[in-house]
Amino acid sequence: MTLLSEWRNRTVLRLKALFHRKQLDSDLEDELAFHLSMTEQKNRRQGLNPEESRHTARRQFGSYTQTKERSRDMWTFAAFEGVLGDIRFGTRMLVKNPGFSLVAVLTLALGIGANTAIFSVINGVLLNPLPYRDPERLVTMEQNDSLQNVMDIRRETRTFSEGGGINIENMDYTSGPEPLQIHAGYVDAGLLETLGVPPMLGRMISREEDVKGGPRVIVVSHPFWQNFLNGDPQVLGKTISLTGNDYTVIGVMPAGFAPPGEHPDIYVSLWVAYPEAAPFRGVHFMRTYWRLKPGITLAEAQADISSIDHRLAEQYPDHEGTRKTLVVPLHEFMVRDSRTALLVLFGAVGFVLLIACANFAGLLIARSVGRRPELVIRAALGAGKTRLIRQALVESTLLAATGGAVGLLIAKWGTSLLLSLKPAALERFTGIQLDARVLIFVFGISLLTGIVFGIAPAWSATLTDLAESLKDGGRSATAGPSGHLLRQWLVIGEFALALVLLVGAGLLIKGFSRLRSVNPGFNPQNVMTMHLQLPPARYAEIPPQTQFRRELLSRINSLPGVDAAMITDIPFGENYLNHSLVIAGRPPVPVGTEPRVQTLSVMGDYFRVMRIPVRAGRGFTDMDREGQPLVAVVNESFVREFFPHENPIGGRIDWARSESPEWMTIVGVVEDVKHSGLDEPVDPAVYAPFPQSDEAWRRWMTLAVRTPGPSAGLVDEVKKQVWSVDRQIPVSDIQSMDTLMSVSLAQQRFNMLLLGLFAALALVLAAVGIYGLMAYAVSQRTHEIGVRLAVGAQRRDVLSLVVGHGAKLALLGITIGILAALVLTRLMASLLFEVTPGDPATFATVAVLLAMVGLAACYLPARRATRVDPMVALRYE
Amino acid sequence: MREKRENPGDLLQGTLDLLILKALARGAMHGYGVAEWIHQTSEDVLKVEEGALYPALHRLELRGLLSAEWGASDNNRRAKFYSLTSSGKKQLAQETEFWCRMSGAVARILQTA
Repeated sequence: MTLLSEWRNRTVLRLKALFHRKQLDSDLEDELAFHLSMTEQKNRRQGLNPEESRHTARRQFGSYTQTKERSRDMWTFAAFEGVLGDIRFGTRMLVKNPGFSLVAVLTLALGIGANTAIFSVINGVLLNPLPYRDPERLVTMEQNDSLQNVMDIRRETRTFSEGGGINIENMDYTSGPEPLQIHAGYVDAGLLETLGVPPMLGRMISREEDVKGGPRVIVVSHPFWQNFLNGDPQVLGKTISLTGNDYTVIGVMPAGFAPPGEHPDIYVSLWVAYPEAAPFRGVHFMRTYWRLKPGITLAEAQADISSIDHRLAEQYPDHEGTRKTLVVPLHEFMVRDSRTALLVLFGAVGFVLLIACANFAGLLIARSVGRRPELVIRAALGAGKTRLIRQALVESTLLAATGGAVGLLIAKWGTSLLLSLKPAALERFTGIQLDARVLIFVFGISLLTGIVFGIAPAWSATLTDLAESLKDGGRSATAGPSGHLLRQWLVIGEFALALVLLVGAGLLIKGFSRLRSVNPGFNPQNVMTMHLQLPPARYAEIPPQTQFRRELLSRINSLPGVDAAMITDIPFGENYLNHSLVIAGRPPVPVGTEPRVQTLSVMGDYFRVMRIPVRAGRGFTDMDREGQPLVAVVNESFVREFFPHENPIGGRIDWARSESPEWMTIVGVVEDVKHSGLDEPVDPAVYAPFPQSDEAWRRWMTLAVRTPGPSAGLVDEVKKQVWSVDRQIPVSDIQSMDTLMSVSLAQQRFNMLLLGLFAALALVLAAVGIYGLMAYAVSQRTHEIGVRLAVGAQRRDVLSLVVGHGAKLALLGITIGILAALVLTRLMASLLFEVTPGDPATFATVAVLLAMVGLAACYLPARRATRVDPMVALRYE
Repeated sequence: MREKRENPGDLLQGTLDLLILKALARGAMHGYGVAEWIHQTSEDVLKVEEGALYPALHRLELRGLLSAEWGASDNNRRAKFYSLTSSGKKQLAQETEFWCRMSGAVARILQTA
C-alpha cells in the first residue's frame, strides 16, 4: 500500500519538478543550509571561533553535494534523462559514421518499406471491414440466382433480414455527344437496402417502384454523377436517355460506394429495365447478397437456405431440380481469390525483412568491435554493463526508426506501384492506402527490429573481458568468439532465407512461363476487338439484327488489309453462355440434367480471322445463312466428350427445350480455344451462325478485326463504319486481343513480379551480408595471413582459405534453405501452374545461382587477402 | 538503474527510518532537531549522518508517512518542519513492535552460553 502511494507521490512530485524545479532546488538548499547554520551555532556555543565553527559544521555534514544529489534524484526522471542523453550521443555517433549509418538505414528501409507496402495491401484487402453497414453480417451465395428465386427466398427465409440481387448489363447512354455504353446494375429494391449505405442525395428505389411497369427511375453512382452529370447538386428529377428510354434520377450514391466486386454507373430496377428477363426462374444471372438476422449463425442460415432449396426443387423440378445453394460470408467470398497470393507475398516479404535485419545485426556487431576501445574506456570509467547495453540499444533503435521512416517513403511509392500493376482481384478493393494501422505496423516493426536485432550485438559487445581488452588498449580487440559465431549464423540464416525466396520466385516464374507458352488455340497478334450491343427498340427480331451484322461486316472487310468477323463472346472477354444440349439418337436424359456446353454465335469467317485451325470438316461459309439447313461447328473437347468413338461430322444436336425444335448438323471440328484463361480447362463448345439463331435476345456481339500489322489507327475507321450503319450504336471495350490475354494473366504476373523482386532483394542483401562478413574476417586476420604468406603459403592457398570459409557458410545456409523450402513451397501450390512445389530443376538452378553469388561475394575480400604484404601485416601489431 | 544504497552512517536503513518516526512522534520538528534528539536521547551513542538523514526524511515524506511544512525556527529562521501523518503513526507502531520482537530474539540468541 505504501509502495503504491509512494509511487504516486513520487510521480506527482516528479511532474511538479518538471515545472517547479528551481523552487524545489532552492527549498532543498535552504533546508540543508539551515542545518549547517544550526550546527555552526552549536559549535560556536561549544566555544569554537566563527571560522572554525563553519569548517567543523561543514566537515561534520559530510558530502553536502551527494546529499543534495540523493534527495534530488527523488524528483527527477533520472533514467529518462539518461536516455535522452544517450539519444543525443547516439545521434552524434551515427552522424560521424555516415557510411555505416547509410548502409544500415538503407538495408532496413528496403526491408521495412517492402513489408509496409505489402501490409498496406493486406490491410486494405484482408483486414479492413467492407464498406457496408454491419459488413460482418453480410453473406452471398456461391451460385447466382434468378429474381423469382430471390423473391421466394426473401418470402420464406427465417434467417435473413434482407436480401437482393444485381446483374451488370450494358446500357446505351445517348444523352451525351456520342453514344456510349455504360454499366447498369439491374437490381431489385432489396439490394441497396441490404448493403445498407444510404444515398448521398435523394433516395433509393422503393419496393413499390420495383414492379413490372414501374416508373423509370434510376439511382446513379458518384463517378457517373461527377463525370456525366457535372456533379450537379440539383440533379434529382432530371431525366437521361438510356437505351432508347428516358429515366428520372432519384438518387446519387456516395463516393466510394460500389456493390461487392462491381462498379456499375447506375442502378435500375430489373423489372423496369429488363422486364422480359425478370419472370424467368431458370435463368440464374443475379448475384445475390443477404443480411443475417442478429444472432443467426452461418450454419443456421445454410440450413434455412437448404430447406428452401428443397422446396423450390420439388416445386420447379425443370429448372431448380439440382439446386444446391451454398452460403458464403461476403468478406471470404471477396478475398479468397487473392488471399493465398497475398499471404505468400507477406511471408516472402517477411523473409526479406529478416534478411535485412540479419545484415543490420551483422553491421552492428562489426561496428561494436570497431568501438571496442571506446567501450573499454567507458567501462573503465565506471559505466555499468546495463548502461553500455542501453547505449547500444538506443543507437540501434535510432537506426531502425530512421530506417522505418525511410521505409515509409519507399512503401508509399511501392504501394502505388503495386496498385498500378492492377491485378484484377485487387481492383475491387478501394481502401488500399497507408492508414493508421499501417503506420502503427511500421512503428512497431522498426522498434522491434531495433531492439531485437540490437540486443544481441550489444550483449556480445559487453561479453569480452574488458580488463583484458584494456591491457592492450583495445587495439587487437576482436568480436570475441561469441560475436563472430553469431555473425556466421546470421549469414547462414540469410542464405537459407534467400534460398527459400528464390525457390518461390523460381517456381512462379517457371509456372508463369509455362502459362505463357500455353497455346490459346488461336493467334492473338494484330487482332482488335470491340463490343457492340444492338438496342432492343429497332432490333427486337433476328432479321434486322442479321441485316445490321451483315452490312457492317461487309463494310469493314472492304477496308484495305482488314479481315473481320463477329462472335457473341470473345475469348478472355470473361463472358459466355452455357446451353443444355441434346444429341440425336441418344437415349433421353431426365429434364434438367442435360449436359451443358459453351454456346457461341458467329458471323463471317471467324475461324480464319482468329486463325483457329479447322481439324475436320469445314468452317462456316456465307451459305450458312437463314433459310438454309442449320449447321454447327464444335471444338475438340466436344468431340472427346460426346463423340469419343464416332465421327462427329454429320451428327445432329439441338438445344434442350429450345423454342424451335430443329436439329443442327455438325459440319466441322475446330481446335480447342482457351476461352476463360490460359490456366482454365476448355469446355465443350458449339459454334453456330448468327443468322440461323432463334435467340433474338442475344443482341450483343464482339467484332474481331485482324490487320496485317499493329492496328492502332484502325479503331476510328471501324467506329465510323458502325455509325454509318446505325448512328445510335455505342462501341465499347476496344482492346487488342494481346491486351485481353495479358489482362487475364495479371494476377499471375503480379505474384511473379513481386516475389521475383523480393527474391532479387534477398539475393543482394545476402550477398552484401556474406561480403561484409568475409571482408571483416579478412581484415581481422590480416596478421595471420601475413604470417602464413611469410612462412611460404601461396596466394592460391590464401584464396582458398578465405573462399572456402565463405563457401562453407553459404552451403550450410543453402542446405537449410532447401529443407525449409521443401516444406514452405507447398503453401503456394495453388499459385503454380503445371509446376510441382518441389520442382527439382528449380531447386537445383536456384541453389547453384545462390552458391555462385555467395562465392563471388567472398572472392573480392579473398583477393584482397592475397594482396596482403607480409611485411606490412607483421608490422600491423 | 537505481543507485546502489550507500552505507547510511552507523545505522541500518530501516532503523534510521524507525528512529526518525519515533523522534517525530513527540511533535513536529526540523531535520536538525531530529538529528539532535536522536543524538541526545541515545546519550551520544547514535550519531545520525546528515548525508543519510535528509534523503531518509524526503523518502518518508514521499511514502506519505511524514508531512512537511515550512515554518519559523526558535531563532526565527525559515525551516522545514516534519510531522507524522496518520499512516506514519501506524507505521511507527508496527515497526516498533517488529523491532522489539527482533531485538529480543537476537538478544536471547546472543545470551546463550
